[in-house]
Amino acid sequence: MKLPSTMSAAPRSIERRRTLARLAGLGCLLAAAPLAAQGSGMTPVSGTPAAPPLILPDVDGKLVDLASFRGRLVLVNFWATWCPPCRREFPSLGRLQKLFRPEELVVLAVNVGEDAETIFSFAGAGEVTILLDRDSAAMRRWKVAGLPSTFVVDRQGRLALRAVGGREFDDAAIVRQLRGLLKDRA
Amino acid sequence: MIASGGMLFHRFALLCALALLPAPAAANSQSPWHGAREGVALKATALQREQVAAFYQARGFAPAAIADYAAACVFSLELHNGGRQPLRLRLADLRAQSPSGTVRFRQPQAWQAEWDRLGVAEPARIAFRWAQFQAGQEFAPGDWIMGMAALERRIDAPFRLVLQFSDRKRSHEIAIDHVRCAPLD
Repeated sequence: MKLPSTMSAAPRSIERRRTLARLAGLGCLLAAAPLAAQGSGMTPVSGTPAAPPLILPDVDGKLVDLASFRGRLVLVNFWATWCPPCRREFPSLGRLQKLFRPEELVVLAVNVGEDAETIFSFAGAGEVTILLDRDSAAMRRWKVAGLPSTFVVDRQGRLALRAVGGREFDDAAIVRQLRGLLKDRA
Repeated sequence: MIASGGMLFHRFALLCALALLPAPAAANSQSPWHGAREGVALKATALQREQVAAFYQARGFAPAAIADYAAACVFSLELHNGGRQPLRLRLADLRAQSPSGTVRFRQPQAWQAEWDRLGVAEPARIAFRWAQFQAGQEFAPGDWIMGMAALERRIDAPFRLVLQFSDRKRSHEIAIDHVRCAPLD
């Protein structure tokens, strides 16, 4: 992930301060409310309806269209840096991507409402493609019930699996579910 | 006013120290509270005003705008469906029962109307919306979620926190006694 090239040294300094302030509130909430164990496995979506459209900019401003990945599995994860279970599961998205070839699986991490600097300070140059849903319109279109929420779109562009709440996505149960979808040619 | 990085670091350290300090024994020494039924687990953590204010100010709220919410009786709620049935619940089905009566949790859309009135910026409103325990939920087995919610009014005495939820067959109830709001001072 690249930072916007137009960002000068002064705004970077201000952004660094803002990041510290953001971390202050989050750190306190984390201290006060230890996390529960992550959930396990993903739930098959009844009827496998067509996935809603998803066309969003990545952190470099380039538009990414879910439809362009037809023929591959796409894991769509809705998240934010201030959401403790999102932060906890995020590294597992990168580990999951490494378990599959790019022509088999694509991970799209859809951030809600935050700017590129905030995202970069947390995610760095990771393995997954990060998209920006600045006004949360995509979350509403996908009927997201809470953060984090994750969907798997099958190779035919249908919603196949969903999960509400944090997961470890390189968990054997989830990897098995994804391998199963790859074998499914229906 | 933008504070220096050093000042912010000290504020961060101070806020975390406040969060980690033992709370007054009579107030919330038992927080977080836990309850479970039919494999469904609920955890409620009473949040201090300073914690809540710091979280939302860091997401763009002006101190004055978030003051009422931070001073309300705010909980971080965490629900885990460890059972075998999908279940449904609504924030409206969560309530505090005390000798002085029943108090519900204020719906997130009521707070959003307040943010509209105060002209809170969209990024801050989006963060608030998604940081709340959502008003209506469907949970598959294995799902879990956490979010904040504030009672419609503070209760000074210990109360019973009651959550009703339903699976495909019937309604269930989790009740946790001796829950308290975090003290304001």
